[in-house]
Amino acid sequence: MIGAGIKRGTAELAVLSILEEGPLHGYEMARRIEEQTKGALRFTLAALYPMLYRMEQRGWIRGTWETSNSSGRRRRCYRLTPAGKKKLSPLRKEWAELFGALKRLTKVAHA
Amino acid sequence: MRDWRKFVQVQLAGLPLSPGTKADVVDELAGHLEEVYEGLRRQGMTEELAAQRTVRQVTDWNALQRHIRNAKEREELMQNRVRQLWFPGFLTLTLSTGLLPMLLKLGLEPRIVSWNGPDTILFCVPWLLTLPLFGAAGAYISLRAGGSARAILFSGIFPMLSLAACFFVILPLSIVLDRSIAFHLTLAGFLGLLLSWVVAPGAALLIGALPIQILHAHKMHSQRVAGA
Repeated sequence: MIGAGIKRGTAELAVLSILEEGPLHGYEMARRIEEQTKGALRFTLAALYPMLYRMEQRGWIRGTWETSNSSGRRRRCYRLTPAGKKKLSPLRKEWAELFGALKRLTKVAHA
Repeated sequence: MRDWRKFVQVQLAGLPLSPGTKADVVDELAGHLEEVYEGLRRQGMTEELAAQRTVRQVTDWNALQRHIRNAKEREELMQNRVRQLWFPGFLTLTLSTGLLPMLLKLGLEPRIVSWNGPDTILFCVPWLLTLPLFGAAGAYISLRAGGSARAILFSGIFPMLSLAACFFVILPLSIVLDRSIAFHLTLAGFLGLLLSWVVAPGAALLIGALPIQILHAHKMHSQRVAGA
């Protein structure tokens, strides 16, 4: 299980990455992140929405109200903005470097 | 089935955002809870158990309220201050002070109360009688814009605060800059002016604004009781 501090740091990366696949509303976003990370990253409502609103303020994502054709439900769908796309690649690189470094470190420690 | 919209609305009753933004947040969070609940029901949980699990999505609504406010604040803060505070405040000030010369033009002279000596207190009774109406109007506009209890009261008594600022900032400054004023102004005279132009109008404005603030407090209390 991943610790809370790391989870907080990766949460933005997770949201940006999942939105790269296409626009999603909050519930579906949380469900897919949980599914794709096999439960390692789990967002409750309390954790997800303040983060989405912050990311929207920064201009990384944009939310618009849409009505679902199947259920007729009105939901706020989020999509990546060009600024969000631009933010995603250096963020990915930073995390890849961090995980790479940790991997090397733990291998050395075990050797 | 539970009314999730009403549930969220009650929990976020104190969220200090504009009515439109707040309604959007309530709709979005209620929609999320509804989907969580339905997902749990599909897994075969009983209605009661699914509702209990759904509610656990948020353990501290006050903290969530704070986090949402912080996230939305930058965008909302300026808009809210203008709508809930400055607009109703300046409208109350403009209307109430604008009425005074009109009343004087109509021949409604101020009543002069004097005692032994040169110092007098001016009371423009017709003007003072209209002030509760302006106080109530300013407070009501702030209430409609989603103002907090403090913003409602501030909007209602804004003219008094402006006049008080004149007395406590501009007048001492004038005395410093023009020493001759100090010789003409006695303490009794100053207190008389304060009573005529700050205390009496302030009390009149407060009479109008206070019931609106009480109405707001009562409404908030009822919402909380309904959600408990």
